[in-house]
Amino acid sequence: MKNLIFALALIISGNVLAADSQYQLGVNGLACPFCVYGLEKQLSKLPGVKQIETDVKQGEVRLLVKEGVVLTEPLAREAVKKSGFSLRSFKKLNAGE
Amino acid sequence: MLKLQGLTFCFLMLNGFMAWAAPMTFNTALPVADDEFLMRFQSFVRQSGNDPSTLDRDLKVKAFVTVLGYGVSSKLALFGVLPYLDKEMRLSVNNQRWQRNTNGLGDLTLFGRYTVYQQNQLGQTFRIAPLVGVKVPTGEDQETDALGELPQPFQLGTGSWDFFAGMVSTYQTLDYQFDTQLSYRINTEANNFEAGNEARWNMSLQYRLWPSSIQHGFLYAVMESNLIYRYQNRINGYDDPNSGGLSLLLAPGIQYVTKRWIVETVVQRPVVQNLYGVALENDYTFWASVRFNF
Repeated sequence: MKNLIFALALIISGNVLAADSQYQLGVNGLACPFCVYGLEKQLSKLPGVKQIETDVKQGEVRLLVKEGVVLTEPLAREAVKKSGFSLRSFKKLNAGE
Repeated sequence: MLKLQGLTFCFLMLNGFMAWAAPMTFNTALPVADDEFLMRFQSFVRQSGNDPSTLDRDLKVKAFVTVLGYGVSSKLALFGVLPYLDKEMRLSVNNQRWQRNTNGLGDLTLFGRYTVYQQNQLGQTFRIAPLVGVKVPTGEDQETDALGELPQPFQLGTGSWDFFAGMVSTYQTLDYQFDTQLSYRINTEANNFEAGNEARWNMSLQYRLWPSSIQHGFLYAVMESNLIYRYQNRINGYDDPNSGGLSLLLAPGIQYVTKRWIVETVVQRPVVQNLYGVALENDYTFWASVRFNF
Protein backbone atom coordinates (compact mmCIF):
# COMPACT_ATOMS: atom_id res chain seq x y z
CA MET A 1 0.00 0.00 0.00
CA LYS A 2 2.81 2.37 0.96
CA ASN A 3 4.56 1.67 -2.35
CA LEU A 4 1.35 2.42 -4.24
CA ILE A 5 0.94 5.78 -2.47
CA PHE A 6 4.59 6.67 -3.16
CA ALA A 7 4.19 5.76 -6.82
CA LEU A 8 1.05 7.89 -7.05
CA ALA A 9 2.86 10.80 -5.39
CA LEU A 10 5.67 10.54 -7.90
CA ILE A 11 3.22 10.53 -10.81
CA ILE A 12 1.36 13.53 -9.42
CA SER A 13 4.54 15.53 -8.76
CA GLY A 14 5.78 14.63 -12.24
CA ASN A 15 2.57 16.00 -13.71
CA VAL A 16 2.96 19.22 -11.71
CA LEU A 17 6.48 19.74 -13.05
CA ALA A 18 5.36 18.99 -16.54
CA ALA A 19 2.55 21.54 -16.20
CA ASP A 20 4.90 24.44 -15.43
CA SER A 21 5.13 26.71 -18.44
CA GLN A 22 8.16 28.23 -20.06
CA TYR A 23 8.40 31.62 -21.69
CA GLN A 24 11.14 33.13 -23.76
CA LEU A 25 11.62 36.88 -23.71
CA GLY A 26 13.80 38.79 -26.12
CA VAL A 27 15.32 41.80 -24.35
CA ASN A 28 17.02 44.72 -26.07
CA GLY A 29 19.70 46.82 -24.39
CA LEU A 30 21.32 44.05 -22.39
CA ALA A 31 25.08 44.18 -22.92
CA CYS A 32 26.87 43.29 -19.69
CA PRO A 33 26.45 40.87 -16.78
CA PHE A 34 25.98 43.54 -14.09
CA CYS A 35 22.82 44.81 -15.78
CA VAL A 36 21.29 41.33 -15.75
CA TYR A 37 20.69 41.45 -12.01
CA GLY A 38 18.24 44.36 -12.23
CA LEU A 39 16.36 42.64 -15.03
CA GLU A 40 16.10 39.33 -13.20
CA LYS A 41 15.06 41.11 -10.00
CA GLN A 42 12.12 42.68 -11.81
CA LEU A 43 11.14 39.46 -13.57
CA SER A 44 11.30 37.49 -10.34
CA LYS A 45 8.54 39.74 -8.96
CA LEU A 46 6.12 38.50 -11.62
CA PRO A 47 3.52 36.08 -10.27
CA GLY A 48 4.43 32.41 -10.51
CA VAL A 49 7.99 32.87 -11.75
CA LYS A 50 10.09 29.98 -10.40
CA GLN A 51 13.27 30.16 -12.41
CA ILE A 52 15.07 32.65 -14.64
CA GLU A 53 17.91 32.04 -17.05
CA THR A 54 19.47 34.89 -19.00
CA ASP A 55 21.64 34.69 -22.09
CA VAL A 56 23.30 38.09 -22.38
CA LYS A 57 24.85 37.34 -25.75
CA GLN A 58 21.52 36.47 -27.36
CA GLY A 59 19.54 38.99 -25.33
CA GLU A 60 17.16 36.26 -24.24
CA VAL A 61 15.57 35.33 -20.95
CA ARG A 62 13.82 32.04 -20.20
CA LEU A 63 11.24 32.01 -17.45
CA LEU A 64 9.79 28.95 -15.76
CA VAL A 65 6.32 29.83 -14.51
CA LYS A 66 4.25 27.84 -12.03
CA GLU A 67 1.32 25.77 -13.24
CA GLY A 68 -1.94 27.68 -13.45
CA VAL A 69 -0.26 31.07 -13.74
CA VAL A 70 -0.41 32.80 -17.08
CA LEU A 71 2.27 35.34 -17.92
CA THR A 72 0.99 37.99 -20.26
CA GLU A 73 3.07 40.10 -22.62
CA PRO A 74 2.05 43.45 -21.06
CA LEU A 75 3.17 42.19 -17.64
CA ALA A 76 6.52 41.02 -19.02
CA ARG A 77 6.96 44.25 -20.98
CA GLU A 78 6.37 46.34 -17.85
CA ALA A 79 8.86 44.32 -15.81
CA VAL A 80 11.53 44.63 -18.51
CA LYS A 81 10.84 48.36 -18.79
CA LYS A 82 11.23 48.78 -15.01
CA SER A 83 14.73 47.38 -15.31
CA GLY A 84 15.62 49.96 -17.94
CA PHE A 85 15.48 47.69 -20.99
CA SER A 86 13.02 46.96 -23.82
CA LEU A 87 11.04 43.84 -24.61
CA ARG A 88 11.84 42.70 -28.14
CA SER A 89 9.82 39.48 -28.26
CA PHE A 90 7.54 37.37 -26.09
CA LYS A 91 6.86 33.71 -26.68
CA LYS A 92 5.35 30.86 -24.70
CA LEU A 93 7.39 27.76 -25.34
CA ASN A 94 5.86 24.38 -26.00
CA ALA A 95 7.06 21.32 -24.06
CA GLY A 96 10.47 20.24 -25.30
CA GLU A 97 11.38 23.62 -26.79
CA MET B 1 52.03 79.12 8.43
CA LEU B 2 49.55 81.73 7.36
CA LYS B 3 51.25 81.65 3.99
CA LEU B 4 49.75 78.21 3.56
CA GLN B 5 46.33 79.74 3.28
CA GLY B 6 47.39 81.25 0.00
CA LEU B 7 48.62 78.02 -1.47
CA THR B 8 46.57 75.60 -3.40
CA PHE B 9 46.70 71.90 -3.01
CA CYS B 10 45.12 71.40 -6.31
CA PHE B 11 44.22 67.76 -6.16
CA LEU B 12 43.16 67.80 -2.59
CA MET B 13 39.53 68.06 -3.49
CA LEU B 14 37.88 64.74 -4.10
CA ASN B 15 36.72 64.28 -7.59
CA GLY B 16 35.25 61.46 -9.55
CA PHE B 17 34.34 59.64 -6.37
CA MET B 18 30.67 59.72 -7.25
CA ALA B 19 31.21 57.14 -9.92
CA TRP B 20 29.17 54.02 -9.38
CA ALA B 21 29.12 51.96 -12.49
CA ALA B 22 31.14 51.36 -15.59
CA PRO B 23 33.76 54.12 -15.61
CA MET B 24 35.93 54.27 -12.51
CA THR B 25 36.70 57.97 -12.24
CA PHE B 26 33.27 59.35 -13.10
CA ASN B 27 29.68 58.36 -13.81
CA THR B 28 27.73 56.34 -16.35
CA ALA B 29 24.29 56.48 -17.89
CA LEU B 30 23.66 52.75 -17.54
CA PRO B 31 20.38 51.97 -15.80
CA VAL B 32 19.71 51.29 -12.15
CA ALA B 33 16.55 49.19 -12.18
CA ASP B 34 13.44 50.24 -10.31
CA ASP B 35 13.92 49.36 -6.61
CA GLU B 36 17.50 48.19 -7.15
CA PHE B 37 20.29 49.15 -4.76
CA LEU B 38 23.94 49.60 -5.60
CA MET B 39 26.75 49.75 -3.10
CA ARG B 40 30.29 50.74 -3.89
CA PHE B 41 33.36 50.75 -1.69
CA GLN B 42 36.17 52.69 -3.24
CA SER B 43 39.60 53.57 -1.99
CA PHE B 44 42.25 55.74 -3.50
CA VAL B 45 45.66 57.13 -2.73
CA ARG B 46 46.54 60.46 -4.27
CA GLN B 47 50.14 61.62 -4.21
CA SER B 48 51.11 65.20 -4.97
CA GLY B 49 54.75 66.06 -4.53
CA ASN B 50 55.91 67.96 -7.57
CA ASP B 51 56.14 71.37 -5.95
CA PRO B 52 57.27 74.33 -8.07
CA SER B 53 57.54 76.49 -4.92
CA THR B 54 60.37 76.57 -2.39
CA LEU B 55 58.22 74.93 0.27
CA ASP B 56 58.92 71.43 -1.07
CA ARG B 57 55.37 70.39 -0.30
CA ASP B 58 54.43 66.76 -0.32
CA LEU B 59 50.81 65.76 0.04
CA LYS B 60 49.24 62.34 0.34
CA VAL B 61 45.49 61.81 0.56
CA LYS B 62 44.11 58.37 1.31
CA ALA B 63 40.38 57.90 1.06
CA PHE B 64 37.82 55.20 1.64
CA VAL B 65 34.61 56.15 -0.06
CA THR B 66 31.20 54.53 0.37
CA VAL B 67 28.60 55.04 -2.34
CA LEU B 68 24.97 53.97 -2.09
CA GLY B 69 22.69 54.16 -5.10
CA TYR B 70 18.97 53.47 -5.42
CA GLY B 71 16.73 53.19 -8.45
CA VAL B 72 13.59 55.22 -7.73
CA SER B 73 12.43 54.21 -11.18
CA SER B 74 14.17 52.83 -14.24
CA LYS B 75 15.00 56.41 -15.23
CA LEU B 76 15.65 58.15 -11.92
CA ALA B 77 18.49 57.05 -9.66
CA LEU B 78 19.65 58.70 -6.44
CA PHE B 79 23.12 58.43 -4.96
CA GLY B 80 24.83 59.26 -1.69
CA VAL B 81 28.60 59.43 -1.31
CA LEU B 82 30.48 59.63 1.98
CA PRO B 83 34.29 59.64 2.11
CA TYR B 84 36.60 58.85 5.00
CA LEU B 85 39.79 60.80 4.49
CA ASP B 86 43.31 60.59 5.77
CA LYS B 87 45.49 63.52 4.74
CA GLU B 88 49.16 64.02 5.34
CA MET B 89 51.14 67.05 4.31
CA ARG B 90 54.85 67.77 4.63
CA LEU B 91 56.49 71.07 3.83
CA SER B 92 59.57 73.11 4.60
CA VAL B 93 59.35 76.53 6.22
CA ASN B 94 62.43 78.44 7.40
CA ASN B 95 64.62 75.40 6.75
CA GLN B 96 62.47 73.30 9.02
CA ARG B 97 60.36 70.32 7.89
CA TRP B 98 56.77 70.35 9.11
CA GLN B 99 54.14 67.66 9.00
CA ARG B 100 50.41 68.06 9.40
CA ASN B 101 47.79 65.33 9.47
CA THR B 102 44.08 65.01 9.66
CA ASN B 103 41.60 62.20 9.24
CA GLY B 104 37.88 61.60 9.55
CA LEU B 105 34.65 61.76 7.61
CA GLY B 106 34.51 64.25 4.77
CA ASP B 107 31.61 66.02 3.12
CA LEU B 108 28.51 64.10 2.05
CA THR B 109 27.55 64.32 -1.61
CA LEU B 110 23.99 63.67 -2.80
CA PHE B 111 22.99 63.58 -6.43
CA GLY B 112 20.33 62.38 -8.80
CA ARG B 113 20.55 61.17 -12.37
CA TYR B 114 17.63 61.04 -14.80
CA THR B 115 17.66 59.22 -18.14
CA VAL B 116 16.20 61.51 -20.79
CA TYR B 117 17.01 59.38 -23.81
CA GLN B 118 17.59 55.70 -24.34
CA GLN B 119 17.80 53.50 -27.39
CA ASN B 120 17.96 49.77 -26.73
CA GLN B 121 18.87 47.27 -29.42
CA LEU B 122 19.99 43.66 -29.38
CA GLY B 123 23.25 43.55 -27.43
CA GLN B 124 23.64 47.32 -27.21
CA THR B 125 22.27 50.41 -25.57
CA PHE B 126 22.75 54.15 -25.89
CA ARG B 127 21.69 56.53 -23.12
CA ILE B 128 21.86 60.17 -22.15
CA ALA B 129 21.30 61.24 -18.56
CA PRO B 130 21.68 64.63 -16.90
CA LEU B 131 22.70 64.67 -13.29
CA VAL B 132 22.52 67.27 -10.56
CA GLY B 133 23.85 67.21 -7.03
CA VAL B 134 24.92 68.99 -3.90
CA LYS B 135 27.84 68.60 -1.52
CA VAL B 136 26.74 69.03 2.06
CA PRO B 137 29.26 70.39 4.57
CA THR B 138 29.27 67.43 6.95
CA GLY B 139 33.04 67.16 7.34
CA GLU B 140 35.07 69.02 9.92
CA ASP B 141 36.14 72.37 8.43
CA GLN B 142 37.84 74.16 11.32
CA GLU B 143 40.20 71.54 12.60
CA THR B 144 43.40 72.57 14.32
CA ASP B 145 46.64 70.88 15.26
CA ALA B 146 49.66 71.92 17.29
CA LEU B 147 50.53 74.49 14.63
CA GLY B 148 47.12 76.13 14.68
CA GLU B 149 44.16 75.89 12.34
CA LEU B 150 44.71 73.72 9.31
CA PRO B 151 44.65 75.48 5.92
CA GLN B 152 41.17 75.43 4.42
CA PRO B 153 42.07 73.23 1.45
CA PHE B 154 43.53 70.73 3.90
CA GLN B 155 40.42 70.45 6.07
CA LEU B 156 38.28 67.31 5.85
CA GLY B 157 35.27 69.34 4.77
CA THR B 158 34.98 72.65 2.98
CA GLY B 159 32.27 74.06 5.23
CA SER B 160 30.44 75.17 2.11
CA TRP B 161 27.40 73.99 0.20
CA ASP B 162 28.59 73.24 -3.31
CA PHE B 163 26.51 72.37 -6.34
CA PHE B 164 27.16 70.53 -9.55
CA ALA B 165 25.34 69.54 -12.69
CA GLY B 166 26.29 67.62 -15.78
CA MET B 167 25.35 65.29 -18.55
CA VAL B 168 26.57 61.75 -19.00
CA SER B 169 26.20 59.59 -22.06
CA THR B 170 26.91 55.87 -22.50
CA TYR B 171 27.11 53.61 -25.52
CA GLN B 172 27.49 49.97 -24.54
CA THR B 173 27.78 46.86 -26.68
CA LEU B 174 28.76 43.31 -25.80
CA ASP B 175 32.34 44.05 -26.85
CA TYR B 176 33.01 47.55 -25.60
CA GLN B 177 31.59 50.56 -23.81
CA PHE B 178 32.13 54.27 -24.21
CA ASP B 179 31.11 56.86 -21.63
CA THR B 180 31.53 60.60 -21.66
CA GLN B 181 30.50 63.21 -19.14
CA LEU B 182 30.49 66.99 -19.09
CA SER B 183 30.01 68.62 -15.73
CA TYR B 184 30.33 71.92 -13.94
CA ARG B 185 30.73 72.49 -10.24
CA ILE B 186 29.95 75.69 -8.38
CA ASN B 187 31.71 76.08 -5.05
CA THR B 188 30.56 78.56 -2.46
CA GLU B 189 32.36 80.43 0.28
CA ALA B 190 32.91 79.28 3.86
CA ASN B 191 35.49 80.30 6.44
CA ASN B 192 36.67 83.12 4.14
CA PHE B 193 37.68 80.55 1.55
CA GLU B 194 36.02 79.68 -1.72
CA ALA B 195 37.40 76.89 -3.86
CA GLY B 196 37.41 77.71 -7.56
CA ASN B 197 34.59 76.42 -9.72
CA GLU B 198 35.42 73.42 -11.82
CA ALA B 199 34.60 72.28 -15.35
CA ARG B 200 35.22 68.70 -16.44
CA TRP B 201 35.12 66.59 -19.53
CA ASN B 202 35.56 62.90 -18.81
CA MET B 203 35.77 59.97 -21.20
CA SER B 204 36.06 56.24 -20.68
CA LEU B 205 36.54 53.33 -23.06
CA GLN B 206 36.17 49.77 -21.82
CA TYR B 207 37.04 46.88 -24.09
CA ARG B 208 36.05 43.30 -23.25
CA LEU B 209 39.11 41.09 -23.17
CA TRP B 210 37.59 37.86 -21.96
CA PRO B 211 35.06 35.91 -22.52
CA SER B 212 31.38 36.07 -23.37
CA SER B 213 29.97 33.70 -20.78
CA ILE B 214 27.94 35.38 -18.06
CA GLN B 215 28.84 32.60 -15.64
CA HIS B 216 32.42 33.77 -15.75
CA GLY B 217 31.83 37.49 -15.99
CA PHE B 218 33.46 40.00 -18.31
CA LEU B 219 37.03 41.22 -18.03
CA TYR B 220 37.49 44.72 -19.42
CA ALA B 221 40.57 46.76 -20.21
CA VAL B 222 39.82 50.38 -19.38
CA MET B 223 41.24 53.72 -20.46
CA GLU B 224 39.85 56.92 -19.01
CA SER B 225 40.69 60.57 -19.45
CA ASN B 226 39.73 63.59 -17.38
CA LEU B 227 40.13 67.11 -18.70
CA ILE B 228 39.71 69.46 -15.78
CA TYR B 229 39.75 73.23 -15.57
CA ARG B 230 39.67 74.81 -12.12
CA TYR B 231 39.17 78.49 -11.57
CA GLN B 232 41.26 80.23 -8.96
CA ASN B 233 40.33 79.96 -5.32
CA ARG B 234 39.31 83.05 -3.43
CA ILE B 235 40.68 83.87 0.00
CA ASN B 236 39.13 86.70 1.96
CA GLY B 237 37.52 87.84 -1.27
CA TYR B 238 40.71 87.88 -3.34
CA ASP B 239 41.79 85.49 -6.08
CA ASP B 240 44.59 83.18 -5.09
CA PRO B 241 47.19 83.41 -7.89
CA ASN B 242 48.64 80.05 -6.89
CA SER B 243 45.55 78.02 -7.55
CA GLY B 244 43.53 76.63 -10.40
CA GLY B 245 44.53 75.72 -13.92
CA LEU B 246 44.15 73.04 -16.53
CA SER B 247 44.89 69.35 -16.08
CA LEU B 248 44.57 66.36 -18.35
CA LEU B 249 44.71 63.00 -16.63
CA LEU B 250 44.90 59.55 -18.19
CA ALA B 251 43.91 56.42 -16.34
CA PRO B 252 44.52 52.90 -17.64
CA GLY B 253 42.88 50.15 -15.63
CA ILE B 254 41.22 46.79 -15.49
CA GLN B 255 37.73 45.75 -14.45
CA TYR B 256 36.07 42.38 -13.81
CA VAL B 257 32.29 42.41 -14.03
CA THR B 258 29.87 39.71 -12.88
CA LYS B 259 26.12 39.70 -12.35
CA ARG B 260 26.36 40.66 -8.67
CA TRP B 261 29.70 42.41 -8.25
CA ILE B 262 32.46 44.35 -9.97
CA VAL B 263 36.07 44.64 -8.91
CA GLU B 264 38.37 47.17 -10.55
CA THR B 265 41.57 49.11 -10.30
CA VAL B 266 43.04 52.05 -12.19
CA VAL B 267 46.08 54.33 -11.98
CA GLN B 268 45.45 57.93 -12.91
CA ARG B 269 48.39 60.05 -14.02
CA PRO B 270 48.56 63.61 -15.29
CA VAL B 271 49.82 64.15 -18.82
CA VAL B 272 49.22 67.91 -18.85
CA GLN B 273 49.24 70.23 -15.84
CA ASN B 274 49.13 73.91 -16.68
CA LEU B 275 48.48 75.25 -13.22
CA TYR B 276 48.60 78.85 -12.10
CA GLY B 277 51.47 80.13 -9.97
CA VAL B 278 52.97 77.53 -7.72
CA ALA B 279 49.90 75.34 -7.38
CA LEU B 280 50.96 71.88 -6.29
CA GLU B 281 51.02 69.33 -9.07
CA ASN B 282 49.61 65.84 -8.84
CA ASP B 283 51.88 62.81 -9.29
CA TYR B 284 49.38 59.97 -9.46
CA THR B 285 46.17 58.57 -8.02
CA PHE B 286 45.70 54.87 -7.46
CA TRP B 287 42.11 53.68 -7.33
CA ALA B 288 40.60 50.33 -6.34
CA SER B 289 36.97 49.55 -5.76
CA VAL B 290 34.31 46.92 -5.49
CA ARG B 291 30.60 47.30 -6.26
CA PHE B 292 27.56 45.19 -5.45
CA ASN B 293 23.95 45.29 -6.48
CA PHE B 294 21.08 44.03 -4.37
